[in-house]
Amino acid sequence: MSKVMTMKEAVSRFVQTGDTLFISGMQHGEPAAAIHEIVRQKIDHLTLVSVLVATANLLIGEGLVDRVLTGYINQDERSYAVAKAKAADRSPVYEEYSHFGISLVLMAGQMGIPFIPTRSEIGSDMPKYNKNITSIECPFTGEPIGAVRAVNPDVGIIHVQRCDANGNAQKWGTMGVDMEGINASKKIIVTTEKIVDVDVIRRDPNRTIIPGFRVSAVVEQPFGAHPMHLAGCYSGDMWGYYFDTGPKENYESYIKDLVYGVKDWNEYLKKKADIKPTGYFENFKIKPVESEPIISGY
Amino acid sequence: MNQNNEDGKYTAADQMVVAGSHQIRPDDVIYVGLGLPFLSTLLAKYTHAPDSTIIVENGIVRTTGFEMPRATDTPGAQFMSDQLTGLFYISSLGQAGHITTGFIGAGQIDRYGNVNDTCVGDYTRPVHRWAGSGGANDVMSFCQRSITMLRQSKRRFPEKVDFVTCPGYLDGIQGQREKAGMPPGTGPAMVITDLACYTFENGEMVVKSVHSSVGATLEKVKEEVGWDIKVAADLQDTIPPTDEEIRILRGEVDPKRIWVGGKRQPIRQD
Repeated sequence: MSKVMTMKEAVSRFVQTGDTLFISGMQHGEPAAAIHEIVRQKIDHLTLVSVLVATANLLIGEGLVDRVLTGYINQDERSYAVAKAKAADRSPVYEEYSHFGISLVLMAGQMGIPFIPTRSEIGSDMPKYNKNITSIECPFTGEPIGAVRAVNPDVGIIHVQRCDANGNAQKWGTMGVDMEGINASKKIIVTTEKIVDVDVIRRDPNRTIIPGFRVSAVVEQPFGAHPMHLAGCYSGDMWGYYFDTGPKENYESYIKDLVYGVKDWNEYLKKKADIKPTGYFENFKIKPVESEPIISGY
Repeated sequence: MNQNNEDGKYTAADQMVVAGSHQIRPDDVIYVGLGLPFLSTLLAKYTHAPDSTIIVENGIVRTTGFEMPRATDTPGAQFMSDQLTGLFYISSLGQAGHITTGFIGAGQIDRYGNVNDTCVGDYTRPVHRWAGSGGANDVMSFCQRSITMLRQSKRRFPEKVDFVTCPGYLDGIQGQREKAGMPPGTGPAMVITDLACYTFENGEMVVKSVHSSVGATLEKVKEEVGWDIKVAADLQDTIPPTDEEIRILRGEVDPKRIWVGGKRQPIRQD
């Protein structure tokens, strides 16, 4: 069954006010196009679960986020998104874990269990301020061990290299917390560089990270992770993005021109190409290296 | 302090990087954080530790060198890795005891090696905020030994940190880490600054060697520590960089000079 739709439709149908939202990427292949669409639709009171997602700063800056579950996020007001949220009395509450802690709350969510034990975080002051980290006794040995509470995001959004129309999605390169984050999510939006024939997926099915039956929407969006890089597709401009959305004037013109001022991501790409120096997007071309294909058959 | 040694061949930051490299063992499996620890780890890879394994939090496992990254995940750091996986897998390697060395930067460190990457002042009303743990808490919770690198000042070396982001030896009482549930035999092993190297004796930080090659003195070192720090009985001068190490550092580890003087250089914007 085809789940292919536009970004506008996918976001309006499956992301709602008050949702807990998992955003994949961890600096690699973030679903930047989807984030822009959420901002355009002003879907608010979100709880974000994110690890190093650079492009999520717009959601915070636009006051759409109530709470962030994270291991590492810039809370420094020298970042205008942080300062803007604070000035509007829309600073999110930060629920802080270690990196591993975030991957574990999602892993427990994926596994369908209420919590998961860990040896991280327990020696720190984090449990004092985060009620979802605690210590327990091992039921078998009686030894002390940490525990973090499971999280099942209402919606998970991931950007991948390829996906079929049914939602069988394949991503490669570093995976950050993508596997557990997307698999823990109740509803899933896959945005993809390319929608491929189902047989492309079936010739290399080990690479599928989420099966079609778990996926709600498939959106084809080339360059959908820009300004981040995506393995095998393009390199990125994260530092350019920090500059474009860091200082107040830059941030406000970015939001006005490149988010609210365009109807979709293709228009964003076109407008950005006009604003940036000639050859801006050509610079992100990679020299592709192919691996030996895996062999299947019987 | 005097940032350069007498003949100006290297800086205090270079001395830090080289001292860090000397801590890497030939067969080390290293969970490495961004910044100077990356320089040290790659320098070791290109000198005495070609068989070491480098692990980056986003899911990179590799035994070859690579282009010095500006961020933890870059196409260059991913390319031709031995394994690409995710954060859960990397951290599980550490939690299960397979990572021999964790090597990270820090905001502040205290007498017992506890690291603060979270806030100065009260957590609910901080005077200053850092970005938080990232993988640092994981590294210091369960990698076999952890090495911390930071620029030294009294402010960065308080007797007790305002917030323990990453556990060192907690209150310095033996067995406290294990009592909290951390694996036995883990904990901070070394701290490297632009002035000196420190080890731990009975859970307490002691001065191990002074970077005399770049003009540091024990007096200066003590001035920039927030408590009356003990000095190791066998206090030494830190082994200075060789010409070869500096050549490899400049020419192979970071030829684009992304990390100069311990700081990431900004990219010029049009």
